[in-house]
Amino acid sequence: MKIYDTLIIGAGVIGSFLASDLARSGYSVCLVDKAADVSTGASKANSGLIHAGFDAKPNTLKAKLNVEGNRMYPLIAKRLSLPIKKVGTLVVGSDKKVVENLYARGMANGVKNLSILQRDQIKEIVPNINDSVSVALHAKDSYIISPYLLTISLADEAIINGADIILNFDIKSVKRESGIFTIKSAEKTICTKTIINSAGAGVNEVAKLIGSETYPIVFRRGEYFVLDSTESGIAPLTIFPLPSEHSKGVLVTPTIDGNILVGPTSYESDSSTITTSVGLGYVRENSASLLCNINLKKSIRQFSGVRCVVGDDFVIEKSKKVDGVLTLAGICSPGLSAAPAISKYAINLLGLNYAPSENAKKIQPYTLFKNCSKPEKNELLSKNKAYGKIICKCENITEGDILMALDRPLKIQSIDGVKRRVRAGMGRCQGGFCMLAVANIIAKKRKIPLEEVLKENKNSNFIMFDIRGGAR
Amino acid sequence: MNFDVVIIGGGPAGMSSAIASAQNGSRVLLVERNEALGGVLNQCIHSGFGLHYYNEELTGPEFANRLENELKKEKNIEVLINTFVTSIKDNEVTIVNSNGEQKVKAKSIILATGAREKTAANICLTGSRPAGVMTAGTAQKMVNIMGKLPGKDIVILGSGDIGLIMARRLVLEGANVKAVLEINPVTSGLRRNVLQCLDDFNIPLLLKTTVFSVVGENKIEGILYGNVDENYNPIKSTEKFMKCDCLILSVGLTPETDLLPDLKIMKATGGAEINEYYMTNIKNVFSAGNVLHIHDLVDNVCLESALAGKYASLSAQGKLSFSSPIEVASGKGISYVVPSVCYKNGEKLIAKFRLKTKITRKNIVAKSGSKVLAKKFMLAGTPGEMVTFEIDKSSAEKQIVVEVEE
Repeated sequence: MKIYDTLIIGAGVIGSFLASDLARSGYSVCLVDKAADVSTGASKANSGLIHAGFDAKPNTLKAKLNVEGNRMYPLIAKRLSLPIKKVGTLVVGSDKKVVENLYARGMANGVKNLSILQRDQIKEIVPNINDSVSVALHAKDSYIISPYLLTISLADEAIINGADIILNFDIKSVKRESGIFTIKSAEKTICTKTIINSAGAGVNEVAKLIGSETYPIVFRRGEYFVLDSTESGIAPLTIFPLPSEHSKGVLVTPTIDGNILVGPTSYESDSSTITTSVGLGYVRENSASLLCNINLKKSIRQFSGVRCVVGDDFVIEKSKKVDGVLTLAGICSPGLSAAPAISKYAINLLGLNYAPSENAKKIQPYTLFKNCSKPEKNELLSKNKAYGKIICKCENITEGDILMALDRPLKIQSIDGVKRRVRAGMGRCQGGFCMLAVANIIAKKRKIPLEEVLKENKNSNFIMFDIRGGAR
Repeated sequence: MNFDVVIIGGGPAGMSSAIASAQNGSRVLLVERNEALGGVLNQCIHSGFGLHYYNEELTGPEFANRLENELKKEKNIEVLINTFVTSIKDNEVTIVNSNGEQKVKAKSIILATGAREKTAANICLTGSRPAGVMTAGTAQKMVNIMGKLPGKDIVILGSGDIGLIMARRLVLEGANVKAVLEINPVTSGLRRNVLQCLDDFNIPLLLKTTVFSVVGENKIEGILYGNVDENYNPIKSTEKFMKCDCLILSVGLTPETDLLPDLKIMKATGGAEINEYYMTNIKNVFSAGNVLHIHDLVDNVCLESALAGKYASLSAQGKLSFSSPIEVASGKGISYVVPSVCYKNGEKLIAKFRLKTKITRKNIVAKSGSKVLAKKFMLAGTPGEMVTFEIDKSSAEKQIVVEVEE
């Protein structure tokens, strides 16, 4: 039986960075997740921001790794052919003192391109800024990115560079004998020399199975509105209020895909990602103090994500109880921004050598038909007529695009998996038009009955039975 | 490619307007994204269509088939199926199909793209977002086209016509429809559908009731529901749990105007503001059917779209007169009137309106100043019905107001 150098448990953005970095550094790696796809936890449900790094307290891991991660992103995006946009951030308010403190904190963290703006300068950037805003911190070096497409691309990259990814892997037991771990699910067994526990919300459950340290995790739910692309003009960059103790507050930001995100809340909760009328009401009230023209009636989706918080800082530690185990806990904001630096830090801490090869294989970009030039479109069409059939009318996604998503290195077969890869169902009708067509394409491609096509995870069937007398 | 009239959408509105355009002497291109003409009629296999237009009761596919046969008789109509319109700019329509991307020039364009269903997000449905929550149209397609059932214990939120029709359909196919929930004190569907689809099948209609939150992580397990007060706020003390494996939403339709971001939209309809000739604020762009305003009956869609098709054709020939514009507005008791502008052209104005509230034994009047231009007696009327009103505008001044007479 194959013995991996490292098993990574939890395929969020951290686990996927680790898998790709380790695979490209020449290690044999296995990445597992209990869900049916990567990026189904906090990594898919956040603001999609690469923060500049002025927010975290100086001399914390959060501050250090955020600033370092931020600087790594342009090259990572280039390597993965992943859209990224440097939009910048404004933190707006009326309390000059707080803004100056933030500025000082940013300087202490080593953040570059920070400045303090007065109202007339703010209005030049955001003409529709709320009347109450008089002063702002402007950080030029922040980016927007698709957090799930990033995670998916990393997983694909890990696979083509030799990593194994096993989905729907629900760990039942972990045993350690003569320096080798044996990890079992109901169906599969994996052997490995080391384990990295990056299971996010499930980190303590995994730790208990391993016998390593658990951490006092507090869940904080973040609820959001996604606005229609028709509203994209209201925010040219990320706009925050002045931060509070527990969060950076309700922000308004453009997304890399042309929508506007309004949120999140940050209240203590359980780990479920429900939305609530109280939470959404809070977002509604608070966002109004940023801009004078936020129209939440143009919301095409509401969602929530859950942050896992452990104290004030990230926890990235080698287990003192079990040799060869490293745990990452409390990777809340700015976890996405810090992710590449976290991966590097964790790999070195585990005693492995972070040295991704220049010659590692590169993934194919997720190029959509609609974004191609006319000659490129004709070339795609000459290879596959399916590119001429638009399946998702809101986002103009073709059957060819969907087949491309299904042909990627990481094989998925869920409606939401397709949605995260090529945006079919992400638009204003939320899959009302294309969901069944996408299900048909998946069923045909994977040669499975329609009833087995899932929305997301196990048991998320939405086509249940044949009608009386059976299918026609 | 060059055409006199390019029509986007091959449903009943598109087909009717294509026929009328061709009959008025135009060369027409009809573009349909699906593999067949007919639009949503193809999945509406229940009867009740055509009572006004064909004087007999037909199913949706039968109605679509008749229109298509009429269309085939016209020599000047070219039809492209499996073809998508991706953008419209200055009388140039960009289409995509398996032959690639092409541009088509048109003297007139008719937007006949229909409507889409409102989603869970449009009504801010809270709770989890599991499998098994879908719009009524999706459920209808699943049952009627694919031969699959979305669940066995079903709750329907919203009493729009599609929801009511689906309640009956699902029961006939062996599902248990536990209840239809309606947030308003009255149903939004047609009365005949409440009688034939709910009452006849003992399906409870719970008024002033809505879903508070959806329960279930991967698959829906049930709903928390209860009553709402006059301001539609949930009354927490009435909250109850209902087990279900599918929640179907029938909470209204939105005109699909997104192809043309520059359209001037009428707030009350969500569709384009038009003049008497069904022309929008964008020159030579016309609109008809559900993309203009949501209709109750396909018969009305066809009658209206035939007019739009005729005018689009006349416009392509430069035969429309825009002299002496008269504003058409809604007055007391009327939620909207279509069109918004008419002209002194010797023709009668065929206006469409909807009532704000239920009325019995009232007159509807069209006035210009103090002059009454037309009067219509209504024995009974509800906001659910679209009313057609013929107005003699020969003596109208600057404005015509349609209102319910006190």
